[in-house]
Amino acid sequence: MNALRIALKDIRVFLEDRGSSIQLFLLPLVFIIVYSGALSAVGRAGQQDTRIKLAVVDLDGGRLAQTLIAGLDAAGGVKVEPYQEAQAMPLLKEGKLPRLLTIPAGFTTGIAEGKQQTVSLVNHPDADQEKTEAVRLVVEGVTRDMSLQSQILTSLEQMAAMQATAPDEYSQPFTAERMEAQARAQFESSKSRPLVTLLQRVPGREEEREQDPDMSQVAVPGFAVLFIFLTAQTTARSIYEEKKTGSFRRLLAAPLHKAALLAGKVLPNFLIALVQMAVILAFGVFGLRALGMSPVPLGKDPLALLVSVLLVALCSSALGIVIAALARTENQIGGLSAVVLWGAGLVGGSLIPVFILDRVLGPLPRIVPHYWANLLLDNVMVRGLGMADVAPQLGALLAFTGLFFAVGLWRFDFD
Amino acid sequence: MAAILEVDNLAKKYGDFQAVKGVSFSVEEGEVFGLLGPNGAGKTTTISMLTGVLEPTSGTARIGGYDIRKQANETKKLNGLVPQDLALYPTLSARANVSFFGSIYGLRGRELKQRVEDVLRVVALTDRADGVVEKFSGGMKRRVNIAAGLVHQPRLLFLDEPTVGVDPQSRNQIFESVQRLNRERGMSIIYTSHYMEEVELLCSRVAIIDDGCIIAMDTIKHLIEMLGGGVIYIGLPRVDDQLLREMAALPAVQEATLVPRPAAPPLAPGQEPQREVQPAAGETVKIVAEHSQKAIVNVIHYLNERNVDLTSLEILEPNLESVFLHLTGKKLRE
Repeated sequence: MNALRIALKDIRVFLEDRGSSIQLFLLPLVFIIVYSGALSAVGRAGQQDTRIKLAVVDLDGGRLAQTLIAGLDAAGGVKVEPYQEAQAMPLLKEGKLPRLLTIPAGFTTGIAEGKQQTVSLVNHPDADQEKTEAVRLVVEGVTRDMSLQSQILTSLEQMAAMQATAPDEYSQPFTAERMEAQARAQFESSKSRPLVTLLQRVPGREEEREQDPDMSQVAVPGFAVLFIFLTAQTTARSIYEEKKTGSFRRLLAAPLHKAALLAGKVLPNFLIALVQMAVILAFGVFGLRALGMSPVPLGKDPLALLVSVLLVALCSSALGIVIAALARTENQIGGLSAVVLWGAGLVGGSLIPVFILDRVLGPLPRIVPHYWANLLLDNVMVRGLGMADVAPQLGALLAFTGLFFAVGLWRFDFD
Repeated sequence: MAAILEVDNLAKKYGDFQAVKGVSFSVEEGEVFGLLGPNGAGKTTTISMLTGVLEPTSGTARIGGYDIRKQANETKKLNGLVPQDLALYPTLSARANVSFFGSIYGLRGRELKQRVEDVLRVVALTDRADGVVEKFSGGMKRRVNIAAGLVHQPRLLFLDEPTVGVDPQSRNQIFESVQRLNRERGMSIIYTSHYMEEVELLCSRVAIIDDGCIIAMDTIKHLIEMLGGGVIYIGLPRVDDQLLREMAALPAVQEATLVPRPAAPPLAPGQEPQREVQPAAGETVKIVAEHSQKAIVNVIHYLNERNVDLTSLEILEPNLESVFLHLTGKKLRE
């Protein structure tokens, strides 16, 4: 009960401090609006011309060549620009065209006859390697689909023709099972001996891109995590203030257990973090919609969302004790908070989305709790995963929380 | 009368630094006991150990019969602490502050409300009870600080330098509050200060503490009697054993000893002595007089007969300040 009384007193003190209230409640909403609005605008502007230009010379001019070109254009990531061969080759040599895809003559006929065809992708030595790789992946995917489609269609057409000309006693020569078996055989054949030869495809990349959330979906959980962890410094400052004014001594002189005293100092941070999360999520759903932006989804599993929010708030509270235990002066609290909370927020995906960080920083972000909190909320809210699916992230956050409590209690100076 | 506090060889060590070197004393029920000493002497550390804020390195104490180490929760219920700092929440009102600290001691509902009103009345802040503390004057904040330590009606109140940074009017109000608590409610009080005037006014017994040790403890009357009729510091070009013996044998002189450090030049009338007594050169003799005026006449006459020049002269009236100087060679407010 004493812990609760200390907590209520701290909340009262907190509410008297309007600066802190603005920082913890209003600031995240401003960040979300600016981030969602500005970056969505940048995103929309970028969508006009973000695709990699790919010069294509069609020496075939047939139906399947056109299908390939249309498929490349529709696949996303690549914008096809048709060129004549005579025009394209000098430009490629001069480096004005970074890469050139050539569809050979006889491409359509060859495929129709089941003969393997090869498209060539020539790159200028100075071409951007990453873009070249992206183009290669797109071309590979489209040609592969095309090979499969063509081979299965050809096979089915042959079977249909055979059935049409079959005698009456063989009116049902091709049962459904046989047709399915034929399709499977063609599918395997397509995999092992594609009609259009291409480089091996790197799996998973396109799937990841499909799941990249939009900006509001990044901003709301990201800033929620950032600002909830920022409440950790509120705990540290509150303890520091109590020590500075001497009221901490007075509390130590009172008949209350040290654990109750610490719990009383941590509880407000935990409760404030929960309220903060509720405000941010409510704004993410209703506020963004009212402002004409995409609202953030809350996922499909309310229990998973609740547990995630509670755990993130608890982890932040535990981090507050660590900061209070390690920092001896107000400047140290400020410095440590800046490094630990903003730095970890940056590395952990609160400002830059996790899916980008993964590609840029590799496993480094995993050392901060923010990363796991962001991944957890992304998975629960945006990807709609359930408790069982996010168990690794919950476990990681729980481990961080336990570590922070242990270090905080070990290093905390009651004197 | 029974002792409310018995301190037994209490010590606190921080690494190699011994802040409190085994102090022992007792405080009677209903007594106002002073801990007098300069800053850094160990007063606050001693109080911190007695109130459960700090864990003693060795030794112990009993408050109301309970051991502070083994029965800390019981002793804490009997204690009230008014720390040297303004241990308050500045953005809350006086009433909210006092009420919070009352609730920490288990007070609830009507009882809490009554106690809060009562202590605010004791410190004469009833009319400003709902004012925010940060807007109060230094003296008013000090009074709220005292109220917060009183609200649970402790049997033993620790007042740690409660008048630091307070204007004379508020200081007088604090003195009145302390005297009323002791007189009307029989509250035992331990009052620490480096202002000897406060201790002389409020306390019946005093322990003088310096460098972590209690160097004297008695009633103020007895402590001052230790100096007889006062102390005289005389600066001389040179001093030998024969001179000291002969000066000690003079009428109205109780004791004459050589001060190992140089003494200060004589002070102008009304001027307070600065730091240690330091002459420009030579030796200093400390004379404890049975009667200071007679002693100084006899000493000067003796020195004139022997053609010994005085380089400095300082006469200290017998009070706690001069007792402290006599015992330590230092001033209280250093």
